[in-house]
Amino acid sequence: MHMEQNPTRPDPAAGPAAYRDYARQWLRAHLPGHMHADSLAYRTPTLDECRDWEASMYHAGLAGMTWPQAYGGLGLTLREHLVVNKEVGALAMPESVSSIGKELAGPIIQTVGTEEQKLQFLPRILAIQDYWCQGFSEPDAGSDLARLRTKATQEGDSWRINGQKIWTSGAAKAHYCLLLTRTGTVADKHRGMLMFAVPMDTPGIRVVPIKSIDGKESFAEVFFDNVVVPDSARLGAPDEGWNAAIRVLSIERATNRMYRAWRFDSELRQLVAACKSDPELAKLLDDGHTQRRIGEVVGEIDALKGLVERTVEQLMAGKSIGARGSLTKLHWSECHQAFMGLALSLVSHVTPRSSALAQRAKKHFTTAYLFARAETIYAGTTEVQLDIIAQRIMNLPKDL
Amino acid sequence: MSTTDHDLKPEEFGQAAAAAITDALAHDFRGAAQVLASAGLCGVCATEDAGGLALDIAFALPIVAEAGKLRLHWPLLETVLIAKALGDSPLAAELVSGARVATWALQGSLAEKFAGHARCAPDCDWVLVADGNGGAALVDRASVEIQEDAALDPEHPQSWLALDKAQVLATLDAETFATLQREGQILIAGYANGAAEGALSATAEYMATRVQFGRPLSAKQAVRHLLARMRLVQEASNAGIERVLAPDEYGSVRRTAPVLAHALANAAFVIEKALHLHGGMGFTWELPLHHALREVRKFDAAFGAGALARQNGRDFIQSV
Repeated sequence: MHMEQNPTRPDPAAGPAAYRDYARQWLRAHLPGHMHADSLAYRTPTLDECRDWEASMYHAGLAGMTWPQAYGGLGLTLREHLVVNKEVGALAMPESVSSIGKELAGPIIQTVGTEEQKLQFLPRILAIQDYWCQGFSEPDAGSDLARLRTKATQEGDSWRINGQKIWTSGAAKAHYCLLLTRTGTVADKHRGMLMFAVPMDTPGIRVVPIKSIDGKESFAEVFFDNVVVPDSARLGAPDEGWNAAIRVLSIERATNRMYRAWRFDSELRQLVAACKSDPELAKLLDDGHTQRRIGEVVGEIDALKGLVERTVEQLMAGKSIGARGSLTKLHWSECHQAFMGLALSLVSHVTPRSSALAQRAKKHFTTAYLFARAETIYAGTTEVQLDIIAQRIMNLPKDL
Repeated sequence: MSTTDHDLKPEEFGQAAAAAITDALAHDFRGAAQVLASAGLCGVCATEDAGGLALDIAFALPIVAEAGKLRLHWPLLETVLIAKALGDSPLAAELVSGARVATWALQGSLAEKFAGHARCAPDCDWVLVADGNGGAALVDRASVEIQEDAALDPEHPQSWLALDKAQVLATLDAETFATLQREGQILIAGYANGAAEGALSATAEYMATRVQFGRPLSAKQAVRHLLARMRLVQEASNAGIERVLAPDEYGSVRRTAPVLAHALANAAFVIEKALHLHGGMGFTWELPLHHALREVRKFDAAFGAGALARQNGRDFIQSV
């Protein structure tokens, strides 16, 4: 396929194939050389570099595919979103620095936000002008949000918020927190939940970073000490925001980072290329067990692509996917964890005498292996997903 | 005939096939042929001139999945594929009508004078074997010496064929045989996944109704989670199989071998766990789950018992 340096943006009515070709050409022409994770020229990009890159993708018409045009989106379908995601996945580019905004806050605001809130927040999320974090988990309420304690008390036209959140990814850089609170007590369980868009520079908010296994400080504890926000920061009526979050989460679980399967494909190519670049490592690829494991990963990735594409077609047909998002989440997280175990077993053979590409791969896949430990924890642990499948898909009785 | 002409949906074929297959199970081998042919199953992909429906392989998939689910021991997928591959040949019409039954030797070739893994070979009229030059030959089963291997399945042994005196009835060119092999991998994956679905469904029902210590076994988290995991791998196989039916975004056919290897491994996992969850009952001959396990393991053996995944890995490595 001929690659244009500056391809013409397709007409919105042109359909998925036109967007696929455009995305492929634009991304390959514009991704800075040092941001290719599978290249020797790679160096860890700064937050600002990642932001600028992602914003440029938006301005090129490669983000906000399904969001309404009135709020900065393109008003296209999930099919265009999917083809663009496939191209994003095929390139070893940095992960989104605004995934909470794009995949969680944005869809929830579209569902329950007022017109003013939609106009205020949505275009800025797409243009990477605002980062968001997700204030759901608490020390006593992780997967079980019924135990949430962070309290919101109404005081005239304002709300006073007190409590603590934990495992809040991106809190240190966030401009806004999608905050889940309750108006009553823990005894109310899932009743009385209230959601807010809270500016992170509001007095009384304290962020304490947590160092994670990969050496980064990507998440944090967030303390809310008499934080006062106007009623205009509230997202939906009591319980409405939470119910929307549940609906959005079930779809997002299946559709967020839709590029994953194609990114895994790209990672597998990166791993094999690195091994092939070094005579000693190349011998590992002759081993029957290694070949079989690579073959198994290929099969698992193909199945993941099938799950993602099936979800898109079901949503396009107007069907509810309900709990089926749990199948996708569980499959990708376990499949990738196992794949990273294989990657680590191969790059562990890299020495200072190995090829430069192999050494680059060792750094990448060792970190990726460590980070993959989180994949079966965040967005609902494996055990939570298994329970959802058992109860809501298989309808297995707990009692007669 | 195109599928749009009649607005047919593949999933509807599965529902209709289930009734015919259930009926066929009550007949002997030849009686089953008549039941399945009368229901239009043998000729679902064969040409209209041969009496078939000339439908895409996507319509055969739910049919063979039902065959797997209901543990039909009859070479339905082989007959469907061979009837399609024979095109306008009069032999195709004989398969479509149920007058003849054909199977396919998944290993060996005419050139080697030896072939193997042909399901139900002793009961069939014809056997398709690779010719060793890219194509295939349909041989008269009566001209072939069959040696049975009952180690894995004493009731339905694996068959090895001595082809020294094989009488060739028809040939398939390399392109036709390649298509048959590709579609065969899809249908075998579908059959295995159907077998897994049947085993899972029976196990989930059993676990929900079997009471121990005053509660159904499905109330135990370890049991619920294992059943959920079985459902996950069965759904993952299903999604992979569905995806491989359609060409990729550039109109090229997709790789079928990774999907088949994945489906066979997942089916074996599901059926083995189904046996386990049935407890002592699962280890009895009385419970039919062992038939499903033997059938899936025979297919796995036919593709080299893990060799398929190894080859998929080698292919991927070479592609980089």
